[in-house]
Amino acid sequence: MKEAVNQSLFLLGSSHQVADLAARERISLPPDSIDDFYNGLGQIEGLDEYLLLNTCNRTEIYGATRESFSLDSLSHYLSKFRKLEPEFLNQHSYKRSDHEVVNHLFKVTSGIDSQMVGETEILGQVKKAYEYACQRNASGKMLNRLFQKGFQAAKWARTNTGISRGQVNLGNVLCELSRRIFGKVSNCRLLVVGAGEVAESTIEAFKSRGSQAITVTGRTFDWCPLCRRKPDELAEKFGGFALSYDQFKESIHLFDVILTSTTSGKSIVDLTDIKRAMSKRPSKPLFLIDASVPRNIEEKVSKVDNVFLYNMDDVSTIANENLKSRISEVDRCKGALARRAHRLWEQMTQAREIS
Amino acid sequence: MNFSDARDLMWFAGGLYGIAFVFGFLKTFRINWVLIYEAPLAGIILGFILHTRALYLRGLDIHGCPLGNTLERVQFILWSLILTFLILRLIWRLDLLGSFCAGLAFGAGWLSLILPNSDPQYWLVLNYQKLFSNPWIELHASIAIFSYGVFSLLAIVSVMYLIQRKALLSRKFDKLGSFLPPINDLEAAGWRLLSVGVLFLTISIIVGGMHWTRHPEFVSSAKLGITLLLWTGYTFVFFLHLTNRLYGSKFAKVSIILFIIAIGSLALVNSRHRESKKEGNLLERSSEFLRL
Repeated sequence: MKEAVNQSLFLLGSSHQVADLAARERISLPPDSIDDFYNGLGQIEGLDEYLLLNTCNRTEIYGATRESFSLDSLSHYLSKFRKLEPEFLNQHSYKRSDHEVVNHLFKVTSGIDSQMVGETEILGQVKKAYEYACQRNASGKMLNRLFQKGFQAAKWARTNTGISRGQVNLGNVLCELSRRIFGKVSNCRLLVVGAGEVAESTIEAFKSRGSQAITVTGRTFDWCPLCRRKPDELAEKFGGFALSYDQFKESIHLFDVILTSTTSGKSIVDLTDIKRAMSKRPSKPLFLIDASVPRNIEEKVSKVDNVFLYNMDDVSTIANENLKSRISEVDRCKGALARRAHRLWEQMTQAREIS
Repeated sequence: MNFSDARDLMWFAGGLYGIAFVFGFLKTFRINWVLIYEAPLAGIILGFILHTRALYLRGLDIHGCPLGNTLERVQFILWSLILTFLILRLIWRLDLLGSFCAGLAFGAGWLSLILPNSDPQYWLVLNYQKLFSNPWIELHASIAIFSYGVFSLLAIVSVMYLIQRKALLSRKFDKLGSFLPPINDLEAAGWRLLSVGVLFLTISIIVGGMHWTRHPEFVSSAKLGITLLLWTGYTFVFFLHLTNRLYGSKFAKVSIILFIIAIGSLALVNSRHRESKKEGNLLERSSEFLRL
């Protein structure tokens, strides 16, 4: 027997695809207002199931509705809740229905709709949003199935296509290079000379991969013109050690990865320093990253066996190539996800007719 | 295909290694149509089983360890290579190393089968006597060939090291490099393989040397010279690495060069074997002595 009321899927959303940062800031919901927003959603006529996905780059409302439901009522509710002009919201939002919703969610969870193609953070955010909707009993039979399949599609896309291949964040690229040299990043001993943004991003990336031996040094512990942060404060923030600048040249052989990021304007590590260090660890590689302009490490040190020297241009090139590689996979991934979405929508509609 | 014919089985085993090699690389680069995820390892294992049976059948033909001609020696080395890989595979997940090993086993295996005169049927000659008259010589030969298998794996690891190093020094995105093991691990693996290979080769030399002191007439000076040269070379490299005087890319290059010399010298052994066969004397049966 057919259901008396025919359900369908809908989506109202705004993301970086249609709205710039200023517009997204206006549309996005503050964390403390999400409960109120959910309460209001529950009172909209014809709305059976609903789920809010609210991240820094997108605000989307997914739902399963009855025939009597009008998407305009939701648009009206959101503009009223966020005190937006309806024209503004219409201009910076998109509406999807039925199989388009399935396809869109698959693209979101797999990361191909993200600003940084292939990023994995979005999947965690979608899972969190889904869990929250479940806790509030806002998600029902249709949305449950849709989101479970969305998570599966994300896993499939990451395993079977190259959309997540390679790192695109500078800190992560450095971690990936360290992994290719040393294996486990957690076993690498990192020394950071200076305390710029790249230094902080690198420390964060190493720390997140379990690295415990992080040391920071700088020409002065008083003030760093790059980020106005003292190197010893940086060490403290990430649970690392601070090393006296006078001692760092004698300690080079103790570290596996050395990042220089100072504004000294001259070379602070030369061939003699590296040769001396490598004589104490000849068969162990040394990974040097020169993130300074002008450079802090003499180019000639790369001629020493087992020394791998990278500057910021090299790292940026790798990040850009990884991104290009991901983008080249997007079309293939989109096609495959569209087929999966179509199959799922067919199954969902058939199941509805049978019931 | 005849499952009772050693050569047929060698062809088939080589084909399976080839399939494992192709699937291994497709899997590495995540080519979508690779349906069977474990196909590379399955191909290697199945190939190894057939390879073992082929050598077993050939061993029955010649009544001993099949090391009587170029084909047999190459096949035995490749079998040792795959065996060493499978032992290592139990401990570490080394899929790409497996692909490299399968590639070498496929290429060298089929080449040895295609090459004319690589497989003379010496056991069919009139009044054929066992290839190895003394079990100690057989032990010496088989251990030596096994050490060659380990050295071939060392050469593969060294090639992987050089590819990874080149990728890192080029400072560009490199697909293959990103799937290879870390350069530090490759150097450590190379060092361990060299240690194991030198140990086996030394044992083989000691066992063969004991026989040689009693019957020096069985061993040609060329074979003795090459054997000792290789042993000295590998042992020298071992001590240079131990004392941190040879490492990194130089260590990898020297390992590859020594392996090429070792494989190249197999042809010399074969020619000596044929010469000795014409003579039809006792030297024929002992022609492998100490060389291996």
